[in-house]
Amino acid sequence: MGLDLTALGRQVRQMSGATALSAATTNERTSRVVARYREATGAEQHWATAANISRETANWLLAHPVEPLDTARNRPEIPVSYALVASDGSQIDLDRHGSASCYLINIGRVFLRYGENPLARLSSEPVLYYREEDLYLSNGTRRVPIEGNYLSARRDVDEGVALVGLADEFLTDDIPCLALQDGTLIRWTLAGAERFVQDHFLGRYLAYLDAMHERGIPVASYISRPRSPEVVGTIRLMLCPDVDVAAGKGANCSECSDLADGRDPSCSICQGLVDTDILAGQLSEGQRGPLFISMSRINVESYREHTIYFFHMRVGRELARIEIPQWVAQDPDQVDLIHALMYDQAGRGGGYPVALERAHEQAVVRSADRRTFQHMLEASLYRAEADASASAKKDSKSYIKG
Amino acid sequence: MGVAAPTGSPMERIGEVIESSTTRFTAGAYELLAAPPFGSLVRAQTRSAGVAVYGLVYEIRTGSKEPGGRAMMRGRTYSGRNLYDAEIYHEHPDLAEVLQTEFSAITVGYCERDRRYQYLPPHPPPVHYSVYPCDDAELGGFCESSDFFRSVLFAAQIPSDELLSAAIRATARARHDSRDYLVYAGRELASLLKDDYDRLTAILRRIKP
Repeated sequence: MGLDLTALGRQVRQMSGATALSAATTNERTSRVVARYREATGAEQHWATAANISRETANWLLAHPVEPLDTARNRPEIPVSYALVASDGSQIDLDRHGSASCYLINIGRVFLRYGENPLARLSSEPVLYYREEDLYLSNGTRRVPIEGNYLSARRDVDEGVALVGLADEFLTDDIPCLALQDGTLIRWTLAGAERFVQDHFLGRYLAYLDAMHERGIPVASYISRPRSPEVVGTIRLMLCPDVDVAAGKGANCSECSDLADGRDPSCSICQGLVDTDILAGQLSEGQRGPLFISMSRINVESYREHTIYFFHMRVGRELARIEIPQWVAQDPDQVDLIHALMYDQAGRGGGYPVALERAHEQAVVRSADRRTFQHMLEASLYRAEADASASAKKDSKSYIKG
Repeated sequence: MGVAAPTGSPMERIGEVIESSTTRFTAGAYELLAAPPFGSLVRAQTRSAGVAVYGLVYEIRTGSKEPGGRAMMRGRTYSGRNLYDAEIYHEHPDLAEVLQTEFSAITVGYCERDRRYQYLPPHPPPVHYSVYPCDDAELGGFCESSDFFRSVLFAAQIPSDELLSAAIRATARARHDSRDYLVYAGRELASLLKDDYDRLTAILRRIKP
C-alpha cells in the first residue's frame, strides 16, 4: 500500500487551520522586532562589536552589519553588454544496496552573453567516481566515506572548479562579467566535519575562490527565498539584557539572566522569524538592503579574504539573498554590478536568475536517466564479469510480489 | 525521361537525422527556425558513400528540447518592457540552446552513385547522419520522373495533397520548362486520381500557373 490519502487529508486540514491562527500573532511580533531593528540605525558599529563578542557564546547565528541598517539602495544601471558563467550540480549518491561502489556527479555548465553580440553555451559534464581515493578520505589512520553531506561538499567544490574552467574558456572579452553559483557560498555542511575532512574540501573550495580572485572575476551566489535568521540573531542581541558592549560583555545563552529569573528570554519574541521578515518592509522592487558579514563559525574562522558578505534584494514578492566574498564586497563598483546583474538575471528568468535555471536544467538527473544509468552499470559490470548483483533488500523493493 | 547526373552538391548540411524509419525520417535543424520549406526535397546521407536518401519535407515544428517541455511567453518583460519577435531571441540567447526546430520528410527515393530511384531504399538513413538541402538542379533532376507522386498521394497521416502540390510548384520553379512541367504533372495526377475527381481538381487548383 502507498500513501493513505484519506488519513493524510485530515492532518493537512488541521495544519492549515493552525498555520492561519499563528499568522496573526506572527505579524504582531514581526512589527515589534522590525521597530527595534530600525531604532538601531546609526549604531551599526556598536552592534557589530556586540556580534563579534557574542559569537562564541550566543546560541544563534549572527550577522555583522557593514552598512547602515536602513539601507535601501536603488538598482544601478544595468550594463548594455555583460557575460556570466554559472554552474549547478546534481549527484547520484553511493548506493550501498547497489551493484558497485561508485557515485556520479553531473555538473551543468552555462555561459551567457548579452548585449551587442549575444551568445549562449549550455552543457553538462558527468563524472563517475569509483576509485578508492574517490570513495574515501583518509588521513592515514581514519578513513571517512564520501557520501551524504560529504558528497554534497565534493559537488560544491566541483561546481566551483567548473566555474574556473568556464571563466577561462569564455570570459575573455572586455565586458562586465560574473561567476554565479546557486545556494550559499558558506560551506555549512563542513562545519561539523572532522578537521582533516574540512581542510580537504575547504582548501579546494577556497582555491577556487582564489582562482576567481586572481582573474578579477566577481563571484556571487543567489538564494531564492532564504530562511536564514542571521540578522534576526543580531536583533536578539539588541533585546538581550546581558549584552554590555562597553564592558566587553556579549550574550551568553548558557547563563541567560532572564531564564535565571524564571522569565522567558527577552529575545524569544524573535522565535521563528527570518531575515527576510525584517527587511521586507524597507525594500521596494529592485532595491537592495544593507551588507552584512555572516558570523557563522566556518566563515569567520576559515574563509580568510573570502569571508562571505550578503545582502538582500527585492525581486517581485520575494527577497533574494545574494552572497559575495569580501574582495567583491569591499569594491562598491563590484557590489553595484552584482546588484544590477542579479536583478537583470532574475528579471529575464521571471523571478529567478535565468543562468541558474539553465544550469539546473543541465545538471538535473531525472529518474528515467537514473534508471538507465543503473542498467548501464549493471550490464557493463556483467560483461566485465564483475559481481553485478544488487542486495537482497534492493531486489525485494523492486516490485510488489503477489 | 532521362536522369541527370547528381550535382555533387557543395551545399552545407542543414540538419541531422534524429528519428528514422523505412518510410520517413525526422531531422533536427542546426539553426533554430531554419528548416527547409514545406514540400522541398532534402537528401540524407547513408552509411554507403555513394548512397543518399531523398525525402519531401511534410512537417516543420519548433519546441522545447526537453521532453514534455513548452516554450513560455516572453514578449512582456518582468520590468514591463515589450519585446517583439526577433528581439526576444536577441535578449535571450539561451533560447537557441533549449529550443529545437525539427522537420520530417517522407522518403520518396534514393540515389546510388549517379542513378536515382523513385522507390524506397533498402535502408533508411541512419540516425545522426547529415541532411542536405537540394539545389534547383538536383530537384529538377529528381523530378524528371513522377513515380513518387503515387507514394505521396497514398501516404497516411500526412497532408499529402498539399505536400504534392508544394513539391510540384517547387519543381516547376526550379526548371526552365516550368509550364511544360506543370502540364506534365497535371496529366500524371489525372491518371493517378481518375477515380477521385474532387481530389484531382483540388490539387490541380493548387498547382495552376
